[in-house]
Amino acid sequence: MKLAYYPGCVSQSTGKEMDASTRAVCSALGIELLELEDWNCCGATHVSNELVATGLAARNMAQTNLSIMTSCSICYSNLRAAAQRLEEPEVREKVNAVLDKKYSGAKIRHALDVILEALTEDDERIVVPLKELKVAPYYGCLLTRPAGQYSPQFPSILEELIRRLQAEPVDFRLKTACCGGPIFMPQEKAAEDIAFRILSEAKKAGSQVIVTVCPLCHLMLDAKQKVLEQKHGEKIGIPVLYVTQLAGIALGLGPEELGLLMNSVSPMAMMERAYERITEET
Amino acid sequence: MTGDEQFKHEVLKLAGQEVLTCIQCGTCSASCPTANLMNPSIRKLIKLCLEGKKEEALHNETLWLCTSCLLCTVRCPRGIRPKAVVSALKDIAEREGQRGKDAAYEKFFLKQISDYGRIAELPLTGQFLLVFPQGVVQSMQMGLELVTKGKIGLETEKIKGRDEVKRIIEELRKA
Repeated sequence: MKLAYYPGCVSQSTGKEMDASTRAVCSALGIELLELEDWNCCGATHVSNELVATGLAARNMAQTNLSIMTSCSICYSNLRAAAQRLEEPEVREKVNAVLDKKYSGAKIRHALDVILEALTEDDERIVVPLKELKVAPYYGCLLTRPAGQYSPQFPSILEELIRRLQAEPVDFRLKTACCGGPIFMPQEKAAEDIAFRILSEAKKAGSQVIVTVCPLCHLMLDAKQKVLEQKHGEKIGIPVLYVTQLAGIALGLGPEELGLLMNSVSPMAMMERAYERITEET
Repeated sequence: MTGDEQFKHEVLKLAGQEVLTCIQCGTCSASCPTANLMNPSIRKLIKLCLEGKKEEALHNETLWLCTSCLLCTVRCPRGIRPKAVVSALKDIAEREGQRGKDAAYEKFFLKQISDYGRIAELPLTGQFLLVFPQGVVQSMQMGLELVTKGKIGLETEKIKGRDEVKRIIEELRKA
């Protein structure tokens, strides 16, 4: 299978491990990724004018005829919402008037969905089954909202993938709650309180790892975890993995390829435990 | 058209005519993750727009507390997009030159896309700290963590299609 790949701006900075693990997992699953030509920022959650946001997304989508895959839920949500708006002839006309390459339709997919589709039940390529690993499926907001293909309040695709990797999804009641990320710079306290509540709930639910599908959720829960622990006087100590990193571990890929050394809360002990289990079994 | 009517007209144009059908049920406010910090609430903000109360609708912290989580939008029983109302107000506020740290952050964000085509966190944060030095402690903590992990991009990559991106931003904002 061949897909166009939209890495998004964070792939060059705070989400380097998201990008590395996406490429590694797709390669292991025989999915060929062609990076979108000269891609631009999707506007994230900070471009207030919808027509401008639609135009920025359209420029990216007009670069290819292939389905476009991204690992970032913000990019995914923006591209999908734009594709929906571009179905209105008036919007398409206005946008195409300013584009070099004209937009004529696009199919947008999240890496989560691509990986799940590529893996069969009891797939032989899962050489490190994650048995007994308790995983909190954290969707956040934008994978499912506003124009996603999953239920915006009760999605289950992440649990499905976790089970396919033979791990156990925990019942996580804040799984579609917001992480506070988009306002963490100008509204620090509000954002941090929200993020801490999510970590604290994940801990109560007995999670050994939290899995995310969005680089901003990852930043709030992983890179900020230590600061949040200090501010709230409570130890969390739960590794937060991108869904591509979790899948990569189960596929037997190494820490370097998956960017695991870039995670703030180290997932190495959890990974070693998974390897110990398979040696015990054999 | 009076100034109040013009403002209401502008919000409806940007956020959708369905805003007129709001029944003030408060589902949006009840769904909002930062509702406890908002004054006016998101429900009240929509009411202010419909009443054409421009000053009150534009000058408040509510706009900047929205996390864009879109729960209000998927839950509204009238099919209104409350987050789009917030975006419309931000767009108007930015165009009218509203100052303050939150408006500044959005402005720098768009400027960076316009100049480079992509976002790099370091220059964005630097610019922001010039207008909001109080943010320096949190940024240093975060920066240190990210530098240690090799996750700060020092250079802003410029894309080839910068002129096109600039045109998209400038022309579509006027359309």
